[in-house]
Amino acid sequence: MNYFVIVYYALLIGGSCLAAYFKRREIFLALFSLTLASFVMGIVGGQDALWAVSIAAGLLALAAGTAYAFREFLVIISGTETAKALRTAPLTASFGMFVIFTYAVLGIFAPVIAPFGEAEVISQSFAPADENMLLGADQLGRDLFSRIVYGARNTVGLALVATMIAFVIGVLLGMVAAVKGGWFDQLMGRIIDVVMSIPGLIFALLLLSIFGTNLIILVIIIGLIYAPRVFRLTRAVAGNVVVMDYIEAASLRGEGMWYLIRKEILPNSTAPLIAEFGLEFCFVFLLVAGLSFLGLGIQPPTADWGSMVRENATLISFGEITPLIPAAAIALLTVAVNFVVDWMLFRSSGLKE
Amino acid sequence: MGDVTRIIITRLGLGVLTLLVISVLIFGAVELLPGDIAQAVLGQGATEENLRALRTELGLDRSAPVRYFDWLTGAIVGDFGNSLLTQSSVTDTIAPRFANTLFLAAYAAVIAVPVAIILGIIVALLRNTLFDRVANVATLTSISSPEFFLGYILILYFSVKTGMFPAIAKLSDDLTFIELLERTFLPALTMVLVVVAHMMRMTRAAIINLLASPYIEMARLKGTPAWKVIARHALPNAWAPIINVVALNLAYLITGVVLVEVVFVYPGIGQLLVDAVTKRDFPVVQACCLIFAATFILLNLAADVGAILTNPRLRHPK
Repeated sequence: MNYFVIVYYALLIGGSCLAAYFKRREIFLALFSLTLASFVMGIVGGQDALWAVSIAAGLLALAAGTAYAFREFLVIISGTETAKALRTAPLTASFGMFVIFTYAVLGIFAPVIAPFGEAEVISQSFAPADENMLLGADQLGRDLFSRIVYGARNTVGLALVATMIAFVIGVLLGMVAAVKGGWFDQLMGRIIDVVMSIPGLIFALLLLSIFGTNLIILVIIIGLIYAPRVFRLTRAVAGNVVVMDYIEAASLRGEGMWYLIRKEILPNSTAPLIAEFGLEFCFVFLLVAGLSFLGLGIQPPTADWGSMVRENATLISFGEITPLIPAAAIALLTVAVNFVVDWMLFRSSGLKE
Repeated sequence: MGDVTRIIITRLGLGVLTLLVISVLIFGAVELLPGDIAQAVLGQGATEENLRALRTELGLDRSAPVRYFDWLTGAIVGDFGNSLLTQSSVTDTIAPRFANTLFLAAYAAVIAVPVAIILGIIVALLRNTLFDRVANVATLTSISSPEFFLGYILILYFSVKTGMFPAIAKLSDDLTFIELLERTFLPALTMVLVVVAHMMRMTRAAIINLLASPYIEMARLKGTPAWKVIARHALPNAWAPIINVVALNLAYLITGVVLVEVVFVYPGIGQLLVDAVTKRDFPVVQACCLIFAATFILLNLAADVGAILTNPRLRHPK
């Protein structure tokens, strides 16, 4: 028994007693079951296990604190309407926004933030971290930290462009199909059915084997693979709008198809479409990362998170966690986007289970 | 049963039709190659004579539809031609690897399906509690992580740090079944983590959807105990969505396997596909894609048929 263990249990038990006193049943249950679990973990894993729990709890508290502060910050700097909506955002959503904001800053200001260039060899391969290099060097002796910063620009940028292509194609065709109906709608529906019955990664691999791994081709292929999903959603959403009276009024007024799509249908289906953009971005991002990991995406020497994991994977067998950082960066962004999307879907649907 | 068989046969027919269209797509995609296969294999510096010789050897002097029917009839009886690089039969290369992949997927499914369904039901019953919220964040994180991230984390903790399981899933013929299970445990666990998260969320949504229906409320109001509401009233109607969820996720398993196989150097069909894509070995790529697509369609079909069999309402479409 040392001070750490005593303080650890005192905090947990004190916290659960307080929660019980103030009738916060859920917090009490969580804290007390954590206490009970700690007994077992302390016996099996010793003090290290308890340290791990404390560190995890500390990180969680830090994330929650950051999320809370960021939400308040957004509420203060935004206008009244937006502030009202933001105030109801759950902590997970504001945490997601904070992460997205950080990634955007990293990506946009990459050359300023990164201490070295993305292809600059400055040291020996797999050199350990020192005062020059925050995370050490990669397999060719390039600064890993700088490459991660540049990766935010390259990987996320590529995924964003591909998502936009998928979106432009999907939304446009979906809207036209909803307005026109008839044979065009049927034909598009059948084509989409076929394309969607091929798994995305497999389809991407097939096309890449044929056209080679050129960056522009990569973006177009990924955009085309995910366009059908956007098409389906747009067709469904727009299908509900098209039957409205004001659409009929507009078309009786003699407005053309483009006017209907631009001025009537699009403004009335933005909420689900924006949420879908977030979801779609996650899928595209994971596909891009997967392809790069397989060596078929963004080609070296351009820094990219997926291929960085693969190139430095040998370090893992020495118990190093540095190769996992780019992978964790991918996961973090995807989770963040999902958090925000969850909140937006909740808001737009008004669903309260 | 008459109309059930009719519906199933219609679905099967549709599936075969989709597969046919996909085979055209897969074959046609290679035709889109700038130049042709011979050019791609021999490179820019090839002489006209060599090109012509290779074209005759591969049968490229015939028209595309003729070659397509040749390829398709071969594929139906299990003959995908020869590899461009090794000249060996594609079928012989693929068959043992496909068996390995199916083994891995089955291993993962056997663990994942019961765990996911039970957890999904529990989470649905405890919805909007702290436990549900924690589970929500945990599954979301698992879904959002790339497969290779989960795989490497497992390698780091279960193989490098503690040495409990091997990091590389190398197979040989003299392994006993237990050894085989141990060797392939980490790749299977990686897939389990991803699939359980998906399945849990979908099961939860399906059950919550069901619990909101009026007849469940009626059962509750008349004082039926909670477990009996689930077992007697909710579950019989929940089978259809659950079967759907399982089949869809098995289909997902089949494709997610590519990345996992590469991480663990597992000798499966996904690894083969990636190699073939890098080396531009088109017959192998085509065969792998067709097999993946066929499995995918088959599982989706199974989901459809399962839903129809367990839900009589679907047998009489409006």
